[in-house]
Amino acid sequence: MSEDLKQNSYWKSLNELAHNEEYKKFNEREFPEGASELTDQVSRRSFLRVMGASIALAGFASCRRPVQKIIPYTEMPENLVQGVPLHYATAKPFQDSLSGLLVENTDGRPTKIEGNESHPENRGRTNIYDQAEILNLYDPDRSRSVRRNGESVSGDDFIAFARDHFSDTGRRIAVISEASSSPTLGRLKEQMAARFPNSSWVTYEAFDEESQLEGTRLAFGRRLRTVNHYDRADVVLSLDSDFINPHEHKNNVANARQVTGRREVRSTEDTLSRIYVVENKFTNTGSYADNRLRLKASEIGPFTYALAAHLSGSVEGLEAFSGLSNDFSGHEWIPLLAGDLLANRGMSIVTAGNQQPAPVHAAAAAINLALGNAGSAVTWHEVPHIEDNPQRDAFRELARQLDNGTIDTVILAGTNPVFTAPADLDFGNALGRADTVIHLGDYRDETAASADWHINRAHFLEAWGDGYSYTGTRSVIQPQIQPLFSGWSGLELFNVIISGQWADGYSLVRETWNEFYPDDFEDRWRRILHDGIDTGGHFPEINTDLSAGFADVISSLPDMSRIEGFEIAIRPDATVFDGRYANNSWLQELPDPMTKITWDNVALMSPATARQLGIPVTRGLNENEAPVVRIEAGGRAIEIAAWVQPGHADNSISLSVGYGRNGIGRIADGVGVDTYPLRTTDAGYFRSADISVTGRNYEIACVQDHDSLEGREMIREATMEGYRENPDFASFESFHGYEVPGLAEGLELGTDNPVTLFTPQHFPEHQPQWGMAIDLNSCFGCGVCTIACQAENNIPVVGKREVGRRRMMHWIRTDRYYEGDEDNPRAMHQPIPCMHCDHAPCEEVCPVAATTQSDDGLNQMTYNRCIGTRYCANNCPYKVRRFNFFNYSKEFLTTGDDPEIIQMAMNPDVTVRFRGVMEKCTYCVQRINRVKSQAKIETGSPKPVDGAMKTACQQACPANAIHFGDLTDSDSNISRLKQNERDYVLLKELSTRPRTSYLGKLRNPNPELG
Amino acid sequence: METSNTDRKLYGVLAEAGNPKELLNIAMTVKNSGYRIYDTYSPFPIHGMDQAMNLKKSKLGWIVLGHGLTGFFGALSLIYFTMAVDYPLNIGGKTLLNFPAWIPVTFELTILLSAFGAVFGMFFLNGLPRLNHPLFSIDNFSRATDDGFFICIESEDPQFEKEKVKKLFADAGVSNIEEVYDD
Amino acid sequence: MSRTYENISKPYEYVHEPPLVKGDHDFKSITALVTDINLRPTPRGWYMAFGVANLLLFLLLFSIAYLIWQGTGIWGLNTPVNWGWAIINFVWWVGIGHAGTLISAILFLFRQDWRTAINRFAEAMTIFAVMCAGVFPAIHVGRIWVIYWVFPIPNQMGVWPNFNSPLLWDVFAVSTYFTVSLLFWYVGLVPDLATIRDRIKSRIGKVLYGTFSLGWRGSNRHWWTYEKAYMILAGLATPLVLSVHTIVSFDFAVSVIPGWHTTIFPPYFVAGAIFSGFAMVLSLMIICRKVYKLEDIMTVDHMEKMNMILLVTGMMVGFAYAMEFFMAWYSGVEYEKAIFMLRAAGPYAWAYWIMISCNVLSPQVFWVKRFRRNIALTFVISIIVNIGMWFERFVITVSSLSTDFLPSSWGYYSPTMWDIMTYIGTFGLFFTFFLLFLRFLPMVAVAELKNVMPQADPHNYDDSGEYVPPKADVPEPKREPV
Repeated sequence: MSEDLKQNSYWKSLNELAHNEEYKKFNEREFPEGASELTDQVSRRSFLRVMGASIALAGFASCRRPVQKIIPYTEMPENLVQGVPLHYATAKPFQDSLSGLLVENTDGRPTKIEGNESHPENRGRTNIYDQAEILNLYDPDRSRSVRRNGESVSGDDFIAFARDHFSDTGRRIAVISEASSSPTLGRLKEQMAARFPNSSWVTYEAFDEESQLEGTRLAFGRRLRTVNHYDRADVVLSLDSDFINPHEHKNNVANARQVTGRREVRSTEDTLSRIYVVENKFTNTGSYADNRLRLKASEIGPFTYALAAHLSGSVEGLEAFSGLSNDFSGHEWIPLLAGDLLANRGMSIVTAGNQQPAPVHAAAAAINLALGNAGSAVTWHEVPHIEDNPQRDAFRELARQLDNGTIDTVILAGTNPVFTAPADLDFGNALGRADTVIHLGDYRDETAASADWHINRAHFLEAWGDGYSYTGTRSVIQPQIQPLFSGWSGLELFNVIISGQWADGYSLVRETWNEFYPDDFEDRWRRILHDGIDTGGHFPEINTDLSAGFADVISSLPDMSRIEGFEIAIRPDATVFDGRYANNSWLQELPDPMTKITWDNVALMSPATARQLGIPVTRGLNENEAPVVRIEAGGRAIEIAAWVQPGHADNSISLSVGYGRNGIGRIADGVGVDTYPLRTTDAGYFRSADISVTGRNYEIACVQDHDSLEGREMIREATMEGYRENPDFASFESFHGYEVPGLAEGLELGTDNPVTLFTPQHFPEHQPQWGMAIDLNSCFGCGVCTIACQAENNIPVVGKREVGRRRMMHWIRTDRYYEGDEDNPRAMHQPIPCMHCDHAPCEEVCPVAATTQSDDGLNQMTYNRCIGTRYCANNCPYKVRRFNFFNYSKEFLTTGDDPEIIQMAMNPDVTVRFRGVMEKCTYCVQRINRVKSQAKIETGSPKPVDGAMKTACQQACPANAIHFGDLTDSDSNISRLKQNERDYVLLKELSTRPRTSYLGKLRNPNPELG
Repeated sequence: METSNTDRKLYGVLAEAGNPKELLNIAMTVKNSGYRIYDTYSPFPIHGMDQAMNLKKSKLGWIVLGHGLTGFFGALSLIYFTMAVDYPLNIGGKTLLNFPAWIPVTFELTILLSAFGAVFGMFFLNGLPRLNHPLFSIDNFSRATDDGFFICIESEDPQFEKEKVKKLFADAGVSNIEEVYDD
Repeated sequence: MSRTYENISKPYEYVHEPPLVKGDHDFKSITALVTDINLRPTPRGWYMAFGVANLLLFLLLFSIAYLIWQGTGIWGLNTPVNWGWAIINFVWWVGIGHAGTLISAILFLFRQDWRTAINRFAEAMTIFAVMCAGVFPAIHVGRIWVIYWVFPIPNQMGVWPNFNSPLLWDVFAVSTYFTVSLLFWYVGLVPDLATIRDRIKSRIGKVLYGTFSLGWRGSNRHWWTYEKAYMILAGLATPLVLSVHTIVSFDFAVSVIPGWHTTIFPPYFVAGAIFSGFAMVLSLMIICRKVYKLEDIMTVDHMEKMNMILLVTGMMVGFAYAMEFFMAWYSGVEYEKAIFMLRAAGPYAWAYWIMISCNVLSPQVFWVKRFRRNIALTFVISIIVNIGMWFERFVITVSSLSTDFLPSSWGYYSPTMWDIMTYIGTFGLFFTFFLLFLRFLPMVAVAELKNVMPQADPHNYDDSGEYVPPKADVPEPKREPV
């Protein structure tokens, strides 16, 4: 009863909004800070600022009743047509890398993020974080004002304070900055050092690439960034590196694009690279690999050494490891791996994960060098913004100084160390010892709480900035909207600290780029604003050799040994990363790519380990509860739900961070368990631990309750050999051993479909006819399609309890199946959008004809005709239809005191669905119609050119797994794919004739490993 | 009743039989004596009474048939118009003239209309509802719905003569002979 | 025509059976026995029962109000299982609603004169059961306020309902069934209402009964058309009653879901409906005959006959269950095979075995005559059967949906308290109307009953007009202690 009465809160404590006083005061002010200050340049952007400001005002000028303000076009902005969105190039900084973006800007507000096609790394592709940023921008829980000791004050107050406080240039200032690739920030950093001789600058990230950098220092004597070119590699060995996932590698989009591109198969002539993965957790890379070996995280180091030792016999440059022997010297994989690597010298990659210690990376680097991969498949680059000294040590040192009270002013720019710093540093207390703490951040987070000054940071879509991509492509970050909460960028903050004057980011960035473009600056500046990238700049590639004393270095290191007993391995979370996305409901509700768990983090363990602990391994359909275990390490303990992950390494427990927040926002608070306390400076990634079962249970909202394919046909795969022997292995006949019933008779009648009792109604003469093909050989299950779809189609978030009741609303989901024995299964991913059947079972059963077939082959849903019998959803064999059991959209869009803010994230081209109606994938019909009318205007026919129409999921997919297009255009990409022998449809025997089809999965396992 | 008989219109003469058999006999006698406009009343239908009173075959069947056909063709044309003419839609690729799917509704509407025909047709043929009737003024007649068996020859009958009728009844040995007046 | 007439007139000539009315009753005593119930002052017990029924009815209204306020989400539905208790209850109530018209119509055509004791009663039950059933399809939709869109009414959207949809067939089938049953019931009532009109003392009563009896005066010219009409109605209602549950079964059979998509459903559902319908009639009858002292009319012989029907229909559904498995295996469709394995051994096995034991095993006791004539046992079994039939619908609806084609979307369904309250509430609706019926309307078709008494037949009188009772060809069986 009680739970039902609370129906109108759709995730815990959503509507229990704390009416905090500061915010009320903020509203009482007639104009929010800065909303009215329009800068002078009369350009499209000034228009955007007006629009942005006005929309923002609409939200703020009143608390209860929104006042709608309209800004008339006194001068019509160039190339703006009402209702037709404009796209502006910008870029998203993530740690010290950058992804080039194109932002769809509707009437002055960014509504959708796409990749920038011309960006050399992501080539128009994106990852889940890029897609979800829209919701971050419009997050009503973002910090909304500058605060002194928690009291809301104006930005001018801070400027006044800073002018006075920093007039004493002798201050002992410590800057703790997030990793950033911004050259402008670099310039300000130098100015800081020059102006404040006693200041120090530390770059701190909870999950950084330090061990990789240190690895190269061990190997080459200098800290270099390793770039792997998977498109050039025939053999890839990943040592605990989940390099295609955004939370594990900064260059994930490029990696995914390259590795899947290299493995794109269109005919039996094509080849696959071979991917070996050695890891403890079952990652997406592991599921995508051809051969996977599960080892404890602590065993991967020794394994790497053993491999290096084995290779040292065959190639020059690994003398450091010759003669070395450990538990893995005799491992069956070692000779096979060595053989494959040696057979593909110069065409192979050995890469190690960030959570592996420096020596592993050093060994990997040495192996790559020895195999001659350097310069081809692997390159090393000098990165200007990467410091020469190990930043983890620097940070520890800083913490020590803070403890000693030798620092009076701390500036934390965009980091949240109080939450994320190693537990043994007790950073919160250390921070307390400084006189003045200034924090710049998106949220009033743990660090903000213990800061004297908190400056609310502007979202990257709100502020000017710049930076380098992972491989060094330069971009300018240009804002899409006036800061909603008049936040500051890091650049603006440091400029104020240095100069005591306010200068907006625009001038700061221009100043920097003036140096890049000494001549005809304005033109080149305009060009980069338009293109979003500067193709010129990229990091210099370093041709280096092993440092002379490498052997000594290796032998001097404490030799690596596995952890006996239980180990825990702590990784960033797939959806909330280090916690920075914890308040993003799209990401919170995005199922974990492997476990399919939403709204929580769990302790992953192998079935064997679970048995050992007395935890039930199999879960009934009706069991949502998971047993809670107590994990104790380094004198600290947490209690967290245990989850059995088939294929996980035994005696190893994987944890993810970023949960268990409070005071952050409605979404993040109280979700999951904070696992940071188990991280210490000496054991940041894995360590031994004690596990015990508490006997308590905890409810988990998992979107997939049955993991086995039950031998059914949904996923059809073959090895490369199998494919060459039987090219149409994916056909119904090959899979089932018999042909579709009724097909023979159908062929006699001249149709290539099974016979039906009636003459079907089709529109063959109508063009175009849409269709989709999903290449299972490319998909590795990252889930970006789901987020992109959610952003494009205004799909509401329903919250943990509703997901737990299996009422998730995602229009495209990614099914994950395990096959093989539970200890070491293979995992397969399958995105499932609507199949848009020509003979749709859902349509026939609707009593009010609310779902029908369109002339161009779409299975349409007429929301305002739907009465909600849910018969269609029952009769859908693919279960892709989603029902609004409650008024989810309304809940989602009336969150908080100023719902206008979250409403700004909605796509005006897509209807917001009401309670009681059915909804489902539309193939992005709003885009289709835009493209069709565009084509009609240009060519007079509604038939767009191939590739003009991209669905949201297709556009976002880094693996290029989703293809969409016009079936009546015989040489369109989609038509060719539908002709491909690997093409198959689900449940063909039902004769639903789906428009969405799949391309069979291929694997290229080492024949000796099978 | 005796007083004002003269100024009131005579409806007919009512008599009561002891049991179904007697009623059957008297009905037969009355028929044979050439009376046409008369009726018998009993708490339940008496078997053989149709021959005894020489009742015509009822027209009800035709009424029902008419209604049934209306329902049948009405349904078909409704579905045809809505599905194929007025707003044709491609529903699951099915042809617009998806006759098998039309059967259930057509069938149901045929039955429904026929049932209406049967029930309201019956009441119509029986001249019901008629809440007031001269016979109801006879107290004893209330037993006609309990255990009374009555016969009444009506004054409309061409060869109706009050005394003759009373005599006929008396000879036939039925009791409680009464005059029934319109009022 | 007249042949039919003959046959009705002499049942005992070809149906060798004990007299339908026990004890020595004449027409008057029968009239009194039945209609005095309506004429007597209301007993206190009735008020108590009515009060309870009203409370449950309020529970129903409250649940519906909250449902409309909050949305379908207050029920336990989820994405694989989009239909839950609402549809189960709908099918269950409709099934119960089948006995009435079946008893009135089919048994009438088959000259089963024993129906006269229970047909009025069963028809009433039918009508109220169908009302309860009708509640669910109406409230289970997401947007109840536009439910009228299922009717072909011209509207501003210019759209019409989809006549390909089984749900739409349902709308027509159930509403037709309700209307025809109501007419059939009323036609039967008219002569009896007249009887009460002529016996009731109170003025208001005279007016009301007088109005609804339409001035019926037992004219044999009227009886003549009346019987014809009744015959035709019976002829119409018989295919109707069979069609209704057939069409309800189409809701499942026409879909593609494994375990639903099967041609055996129509006969299987009809048999099940008769099964549960008779069980419900028994449960109600056994109470009423005791409370209202109608043992002379609703005799143990009636019960025995109905128990035989229970046994037969029980075997039919049992056969259907077996057939489903056979077809799943014989068809070779992996999804069909899987779903039936899952039913018997999967997450919902418990429900499946409840269904089997209630519907197939429990009626087997009726092979024994002694049990068939045992009133207490009959009552218990009739209740068990209705529970079993509810679970049959549960198994069909939920298990098929929860584990269908794509294993990834398998999910478990369990009801919330709102599902349960709504279901219980419908009993309030049912009994409110049923108690009103018992109080104000003759629960036995008096005229028809008199009609089948030997005294009614002119042939049972000698020439002197003396009544000569017919000798029963079979000795009347010993009365069980009641």
